[in-house]
Amino acid sequence: MLAQLPELDTVTYVEKMYPVPWLAKPTFPKWERGWHDPYHYRSPPKEEMPDYKTRPCYEFHRRSRLQEGVKQALWLTKAKLIKGLPPPILNIMNDVAHQLEDQDERIQNAISHACFWAGTEEDISFEKYSPVLLEDLLHLCRSMTVKYPLLSKRMMAQDYRVTATWERESALIQIHITHGKLLNAVNCLQPIASNDEILATENYALETFYPISPIIDLREKNVYKIKNDTGFNKGYPYPYPHTAYTVETGKREKSEHFQARVLMFAFGNALAKAKELYGDEPKVLEKPIVVQSIGTNGQSFQFVVFQLNTTDLDPSNGVKNLAWLDADQLLFEDARKHPEIKRKEVLIPAGIHGYKSDTFKKFLAFYLHGVV
Amino acid sequence: MAISNLIRTFGSLLLSSSPHLSQIPASPRPLYLVSHLSAYREISTSTAVFARDPLWKCRTKYTIKPIPKTKTGGRDHTGRIRVHGIGGGRKQCYRMIDFQRLRYPDPAEPGPFEEKVLLVRYDPCRSGHIALVAGGKRKRWIIATENMVAGDTIKTSGKIERMTVSANDGDAYPVGALPLGTLINNLESHPGKGAQYIRAAGTCGVLLRKVNGTAIIQLPSKRQMQVLETCVATVGRVSNVEHNQRNLGKAGRNRWLGKRPDSGLWQRKGGWAGRKIKPLPEIKNYVNLPVPAVQL
Repeated sequence: MLAQLPELDTVTYVEKMYPVPWLAKPTFPKWERGWHDPYHYRSPPKEEMPDYKTRPCYEFHRRSRLQEGVKQALWLTKAKLIKGLPPPILNIMNDVAHQLEDQDERIQNAISHACFWAGTEEDISFEKYSPVLLEDLLHLCRSMTVKYPLLSKRMMAQDYRVTATWERESALIQIHITHGKLLNAVNCLQPIASNDEILATENYALETFYPISPIIDLREKNVYKIKNDTGFNKGYPYPYPHTAYTVETGKREKSEHFQARVLMFAFGNALAKAKELYGDEPKVLEKPIVVQSIGTNGQSFQFVVFQLNTTDLDPSNGVKNLAWLDADQLLFEDARKHPEIKRKEVLIPAGIHGYKSDTFKKFLAFYLHGVV
Repeated sequence: MAISNLIRTFGSLLLSSSPHLSQIPASPRPLYLVSHLSAYREISTSTAVFARDPLWKCRTKYTIKPIPKTKTGGRDHTGRIRVHGIGGGRKQCYRMIDFQRLRYPDPAEPGPFEEKVLLVRYDPCRSGHIALVAGGKRKRWIIATENMVAGDTIKTSGKIERMTVSANDGDAYPVGALPLGTLINNLESHPGKGAQYIRAAGTCGVLLRKVNGTAIIQLPSKRQMQVLETCVATVGRVSNVEHNQRNLGKAGRNRWLGKRPDSGLWQRKGGWAGRKIKPLPEIKNYVNLPVPAVQL
């Protein structure tokens, strides 16, 4: 657009009262309504908002997708990764006494319920059947209450909200969880790694990934509140987060990105609880906080156990946190409503194929952890 | 419906039914590109949110998200045909390409920086392929060079040293820092303006000589061009080298690309047909050399 010369008059179509392309668009003074209409509210510029701060905060929210996956999540949480599950959970998993009656049959019924009967459409999408399957599996877990009455002292919260803020290498980072299920317990989980193992993490060097910054893909924002909130009131009778359940929604993403998210959700719950218990001062915790997290897309499961040893996350040296990750555990390989037929010959029959019994054992062991 | 309600009611009576502590749900916010624009729209229904926005070109804030384009059909703003032979075709998205390669991730610390190639893919808006690169806490699209693959590290520098650099494919340097005879692409005409030359698939220019703070480059058309030596260019050829060798196979594939058929009218061949022998046009000069002061 050329600069408007002052001596020339602009001819607009205001007198014609309808727009024509060869005349300029008239400009009118801004019309004020004169009263507050919530449907036409326009927020002030962010510089004038009360929470505006010049220092940016980097937010991890439920749709954040970390480019570098688990490596980046480990840097953000200052954690050391241990592949596989910790010994207490493996002990529960391998003990036959801690299993349901007719376990495999009931799981396959649950899979059939979710994959075949959850809806009337021809192909039930994973978005629809994975919450159903998760609810069914949790229902089976809850039936262990007869055997272990302490399991009744649990409470499930749907769509919980957790906010935690921390500093990492002089960057202010916030995690904000708004969706998912959280299982709360009356008693906290016992620390898994001993003191010697925790002190041994001091020598561990965190992995970096130059030239990409570790805070890539976090949302940068200037309007924020620095707060740590577990999402529950002070006198809530089930104060300790036990397990966070996450269901993958939206577009399918890489498994690595989903693992990172499940790990971050476990960390967010642990950090919010630690800040409530031990205050905002960064320090090495006397009693580490353990939070479990399970993520599923209806077929494969990600199991994470996170032990928060320290809230002093700013420097990269010193004591690190610990994360156990058992990734991509398939519950079944294929489930189809209709058989695949070619030349009147059944190639693949209908039903569940490749059922893996170990995956639900892990799921159940996570649920029973802390009671058995 | 009544049965399912009944089943749900019985389900809630189960001993082990999940007690739901429903907190205040977060309102799902639809992603709406125009919300960043100054243009404010009062009516917003769910259908309008997912419709293609005619204001897609007005975006100023950079994003790596694909922006849905609208089709013009060759018409200009008055609705009359401006360009013939355009219309229809596959719906396309526009990806914002950062042509200014020397855009520092942190403007407070200008210096050489490296970026990692995450993805090389097809782009409907141009003949060459494009690459998604990440460096620092920033991601951007650039035009891919011939040998660029995901996982590569590419370097960008704005410094001209005394010695010429040994540059790899995909690196970007000022023209003055490169050795003579280097194949370059994505050339700027003015320093900091953004690349405007040598961007089509498979093309490259040749750095012929460096004269007195300027550089002379041979364009793909064999015409020569003189620019300041601080103009940034990428080393190598643009990707998708086989672009001119492809076989469309049928007339309908051109329609998929949004091109309409030519007029089938027979016309006598005239002077426009056949080979023409004429001298190369003169050198393109983008250098405004300072006029020496008159000495008295």
